[in-house]
Amino acid sequence: MNLDVFLLILRLLLIVLLYLFLMQVVIAITRDLRKTAAISADVAGKAPPVVGHLVVVDSGPSAVLPGTRFDLQPQTTIGRGPTNTIQLTDNFISGEHTRLWFRNGVWYVQDAGSTNGTFVNNQPARDALAAKLGDIIQVGFIRFKLGA
Amino acid sequence: MASLSPGPLRRYRWKELGLLFIPFIILLLEMIQLPIAQLYQSKLQTNQLSIPFTPAILPTIRDLIPVLGLIAALAALNMLLSFFFPKADQVLLPLVGLLSGIGVLMALRLGPEPLVRDPMLGTRQLAWVLFGLLICAATLFLLRNMNWLKRYKYTWALLGILLVALTIINALRVKNLNSPTHDQLNFGPLNLQPSELLKIFIVVFFAAYLSENRDVLTEGNFRLGPLRLPPLRQLGPILLMLGIALLLFLVIRELGLALLIYGIFLSMLYLGSGKLSYVIGGLLVFVALGFIGYKLFGYIQVRFAAVSLDVVNWQNWSQATVDFSRNGAYQIVQGIIALASGGIIGVGFGLGHAGALVSVAQSDMIFTSLGEEFGLAGLFAIIGIYLLILYRGYRIAIEASNEFDQLLAAGLTSIFAIQTVIIVAGNMKFLPLTGIPLPFLSYGGSSIIANFIIIGILLRISHNTALERAGLA
Repeated sequence: MNLDVFLLILRLLLIVLLYLFLMQVVIAITRDLRKTAAISADVAGKAPPVVGHLVVVDSGPSAVLPGTRFDLQPQTTIGRGPTNTIQLTDNFISGEHTRLWFRNGVWYVQDAGSTNGTFVNNQPARDALAAKLGDIIQVGFIRFKLGA
Repeated sequence: MASLSPGPLRRYRWKELGLLFIPFIILLLEMIQLPIAQLYQSKLQTNQLSIPFTPAILPTIRDLIPVLGLIAALAALNMLLSFFFPKADQVLLPLVGLLSGIGVLMALRLGPEPLVRDPMLGTRQLAWVLFGLLICAATLFLLRNMNWLKRYKYTWALLGILLVALTIINALRVKNLNSPTHDQLNFGPLNLQPSELLKIFIVVFFAAYLSENRDVLTEGNFRLGPLRLPPLRQLGPILLMLGIALLLFLVIRELGLALLIYGIFLSMLYLGSGKLSYVIGGLLVFVALGFIGYKLFGYIQVRFAAVSLDVVNWQNWSQATVDFSRNGAYQIVQGIIALASGGIIGVGFGLGHAGALVSVAQSDMIFTSLGEEFGLAGLFAIIGIYLLILYRGYRIAIEASNEFDQLLAAGLTSIFAIQTVIIVAGNMKFLPLTGIPLPFLSYGGSSIIANFIIIGILLRISHNTALERAGLA
């Protein structure tokens, strides 16, 4: 065998290996995609359960009508930004204002670094505070009643 | 291994190891081919026409040491990741490993060539890649908390400006703006290119700033004719950063970096606001700036003139064009000739002439050397690898759980995308040729380190996302 034939074989082998590698990666990625698609279909099938409500008792300076009911999920965020579970467009509400979460049958309320603060029965909720049903939760200047 | 629970073995990144297998074979194969090809060429020069193949010309294990070292390092990183970050993305490392391995091989191969004349080139590139893998692991460990990056955003911006200032001072000191090293900082034996780190600082700053001011930017209450622009007060810091970076690179003649930074700015603005009108506005401004630059700076005109060369029709060139192709456009014309002589499957690794004819074939023009030796098929595969890296990066960005991580991952991935497009299109005479490295393939320590830092950040984000997912499920 001549050396140039040997080099030609090596050259072709390299191209074949490069494309085999690309194929292997693409197969791995497709398998990954199927798996995440299955997981997200699972998640989408189970919409987050509604485990409580907030009812507006005092709308303060905002345009929210008293008596409006908001559904609460086990993890709920309130704020002006579009990513919040409950989005309130009011000048006294910060982008990310309040976080509420439900654990072991108890609601916890914590301020998310807002400007005008979050209060549970007039106590500032800078750290997480437990809240019972019927408690008054104040977000900015809007007051809610926690209901089941 | 009896003391280990089945946990580590089950969590082991088998997929990554499996994907690394073919790159290892490719690298070994090329390393075996290199001395044979060099022997073949030296025999050809002595007019020996048919050279028989004997096993005696196969290289010994000692000759394979550079590639064996790289393989060991990649396998070690795979093991390290398996123990500490089992959930990080498993596809990125094989892709990046293969590319940087090819980069090391090209440096080994081009080192002795007449236009490079640096026999230590390959060894140094290997050392940089090994150091880069180390830095990648260090980045993963250091970024325990991504908020740390977000909180000190002005610090990063300041560091970026500092790098810019250092570069300008250095460029003014060197004075010769045509020397290829005018954008480097010399610390002893190290030549650092601050712009490589600058691009990371800029993306981190943009990501942090945009994720905080996203609401205001998407509203866009500042009207200019039919375009709705973001309010200037919110955009101010970003524009300032952009202006400083652009000014620098126009002053010290780094057209490629100016393009890269402007590209990052536009893509991140679009990712953050989702408004096409901002991008269109940005492009219009860019065209205007480009026109002014074209009128003002002679070197930009030369580069555009090189793009308009009609290489296919070379037989009908006038004397002036021939002179231009031997001076101003020499590099690009030689690069095109090298690309063309590669054909479909290439002339074979170690057998091309790019290193002897194309200036800076080891960094800016590496794409043409690759094209000559691996051919069109090889170039398509390499572009395919880049596309897969980009896909993986944007995938990590989509899946990330908060806005900052999303913008950061997408912005860092965009760096690869824009940089590859600029330099590949430059080498192929679609865009004016500019001096920025091809990620992972070009020779250059700063570029390798910066790219591995980016890969480290991407891996960390994917690991964090997977951990959060697992925590919720």
